[in-house]
Amino acid sequence: MITERHEELAALRALGLLEDAERSVFESESARHPEVRALADSLAETSAALALAVPQVEPPAGLKDRILAGAGAAGGGQVIAFPLLKVAPWAVAAALALAATWLATQNLSLRNENATLQSERQLAEVAYKMAQNQLSERSLLAENMITDLGNRLRRAEDLSRLKISALASLAGNTKEAQVIAVWDPGQQAGLLTMEKLPAIADTQDYQIWIVDPAYKDPVNGGVFHVAADGKVSLAFKPDQPVAQAAAFAISLEKKGGVPKAEGPIVLLGK
Amino acid sequence: MTTAGSTPTLGDERSREHATLLAAMAGGDKTALARLYDLLAKPLYSLAFRVLNDAGESQDVVQDVFLQMWHKAGTYDTSRGSVFAWAATLTRNRAIDRVRMRKRRAELLAESAPDLQPASVGNDTDSAGSLWLREKAGAVRTALAALAPDQQKAIELAFFSGLTQQEIAARLNEPLGTIKARIRRGLLKLREILPARL
Repeated sequence: MITERHEELAALRALGLLEDAERSVFESESARHPEVRALADSLAETSAALALAVPQVEPPAGLKDRILAGAGAAGGGQVIAFPLLKVAPWAVAAALALAATWLATQNLSLRNENATLQSERQLAEVAYKMAQNQLSERSLLAENMITDLGNRLRRAEDLSRLKISALASLAGNTKEAQVIAVWDPGQQAGLLTMEKLPAIADTQDYQIWIVDPAYKDPVNGGVFHVAADGKVSLAFKPDQPVAQAAAFAISLEKKGGVPKAEGPIVLLGK
Repeated sequence: MTTAGSTPTLGDERSREHATLLAAMAGGDKTALARLYDLLAKPLYSLAFRVLNDAGESQDVVQDVFLQMWHKAGTYDTSRGSVFAWAATLTRNRAIDRVRMRKRRAELLAESAPDLQPASVGNDTDSAGSLWLREKAGAVRTALAALAPDQQKAIELAFFSGLTQQEIAARLNEPLGTIKARIRRGLLKLREILPARL
């Protein structure tokens, strides 16, 4: 059934007034209702008749000859009335040529794009490796710094843990003697540095003692003999574990030492 | 909504002759082209001149239309309308395209005041072609005169000026819906009055 809307669309179409949206509606409606298109064709016929309503004017005399000459040059109507099948292969060939050109263009474009992406990827890899190397170098440097710092800290801790004592002379012949004792409780070991310690007879030895409140008697630290120049630097270890080194003492004993101090204490330091 | 009925008339015979000539043109018959020119050149040129108001451009349009018909004669579908309607539509469209290209629409409209009053057919001889033309032109003018003036005005502007719907509404200072309704009613009424084929 044709509605007023159909009539309106058909009339506007007949006069070439359809707008884009209306043209779409007309096409869909005329597809559903063939009578709408028939109406539009009929109204187009009617509107064409308006051409006859204008004042009639004779065309110029030479126009007919120009038209006939133009038609002759064109070679006649049959030339244009080519069957579609004659044109189709050329159209297909043209379409294929266009498609091939387009594909070639696309291919070239994609190749260029691919090459660009590969270059970018290679650059990114180089940058990544450089960054990785830099990071490794920095990591190694940091590791060394940390190790060094740790060593320093340990040394500081060790030093703080060490007990250092200067031993004073208790005998008349050792007044100029300079003796320093360093004790490491962790290692249960010590170091004695002595200068100007008087030489003694071969039948005698100096003996080291560590005073620990945990024991009734000083702990034996070993014996040593002084050379003629009076310089001695020696490490010593007690023969019993020392919990607290409260003082260090050096006595003059018989050769080889004694388990318990018997001779005079010549040096003492806390 | 009625369908225009018609009995065999001079117009029907002429319409068939147009179709026969076009078929001959499709076969490369230049004498058919010359004959069709004799029958249609005047109304087509007059239409082009009415739209363009320029003799030189009107000649160019008519020449283009006839050559197009010569080349496309084989593709013409007689079921879609008369040869005259096809030719008139081609002429109108080409003329309006030129108007739009020149961008002188407003000037042209001012220069070419609408004039659809009965006009002289010119110095025609009483050939069959000129008789057909006089008959049809008279019928169209009579049908137009039967329309309400506002319908007539809207249709004239739509057909000859190349204005859009909105431009016609603006020119006539009416809502767009009113203009569409006037065009619809006016064209349907013309269809009722005029014979189905020219």
